[in-house]
Amino acid sequence: MSALLAAASLSAVPSLVGQPAPDFALRSMDGKNRRLSEFRGQVVLVNFWARWASDSRQEMPALDRINTTYNRAGLVVLGVSVDEDWRRAREFADAMKVGYPILFDTTPDIGRNYLLRKMPMTILVDRSGVVRYSSAGFKSGDELAYLDQIRELLRE
Amino acid sequence: MNSKSRLVSMALCTGILALAWTMGPGTFAAAAPAGAAAPPPAAPAPAPPVVAPNADAAPTAAEEPPAPATPPAEFKTLDQEVQGMKKEVIDLNKDLFVLQEELLFPANTQVAVYVSMDVGAFFALDSVTLKIDNKEVKNYLYTAREAEALLKGGVQEIYLGNLKVGKHELVAFFTGKGPVERGYKRGATLTFDKGVGAKYLELKITDRVTKHQPEFKIKDWD
Repeated sequence: MSALLAAASLSAVPSLVGQPAPDFALRSMDGKNRRLSEFRGQVVLVNFWARWASDSRQEMPALDRINTTYNRAGLVVLGVSVDEDWRRAREFADAMKVGYPILFDTTPDIGRNYLLRKMPMTILVDRSGVVRYSSAGFKSGDELAYLDQIRELLRE
Repeated sequence: MNSKSRLVSMALCTGILALAWTMGPGTFAAAAPAGAAAPPPAAPAPAPPVVAPNADAAPTAAEEPPAPATPPAEFKTLDQEVQGMKKEVIDLNKDLFVLQEELLFPANTQVAVYVSMDVGAFFALDSVTLKIDNKEVKNYLYTAREAEALLKGGVQEIYLGNLKVGKHELVAFFTGKGPVERGYKRGATLTFDKGVGAKYLELKITDRVTKHQPEFKIKDWD
């Protein structure tokens, strides 16, 4: 019974899984603009993070390791800051020293489109642009679940 | 033919075929027209050959119409009907799309704004912000690929909306890198009269070679 209730509560959480990933274009830390749809054909991991979400500090180095390993296999990792103060977000990202592109979203539209409910949030988009996995929050070990999904998507 | 009667006729066809199969190839040959005789199944059967090679059988076979190699006519009609329905659905979808476009952006209130770029030696486009009657309607960030497409002659529809008949003001802000890689922000304004028909406006970015500066214009395609 409790399992049923848990399943019902899970299904009640709105999710984008199975739907086309909403497109966005954002300015990145290196000054280039990046548009999600331009990565069609590659597997994309989009990590929404915020300076004030302490889990982001743990998750970003793990994502950096994933990016280093799977980048050549066709994985693209994009970190999207949802901080309103992009200057402070930039300082934070600088300190984290990650190798993947960091984008700054200062408008609420993208967060709304991606149904962000908890920070950080990680989305996996397959080669055809469909959201295949979504995870809210982060705890140590979650990166292993990301890896399972990434390997599967890269094989498709 | 409605779907119910189609189902009944399909069931009948299947029933007849199954009955013929259980009764053996000889019976099948006797029940069916001589020309429609199919080769016997692989199972051993003592029945005589389906089509006799003797002279008596030949005229019968010649009189009867040849057996169709394709599925029975009933199935063919059904398939044609399905194909027809598919086409109808596609046509309906198309009509709905056109209707939606007409409802959302009726031609008499429609305003479309396009962006084009020529040469681009003095300006690398980064973003365009559009304001109509002092209200921001679009803010578009260009990736390197999109900017390149514009330089190659592409024209982008940046905005499609509706406006009432009368005087309106369009302000476009262009940001990017100007000569010697410096940050560059310029604006262009156009006051236009929106008539009864659709209005097409073009934001043109060109190079002014004499001044070594980019030039931003709004063209009214009236």
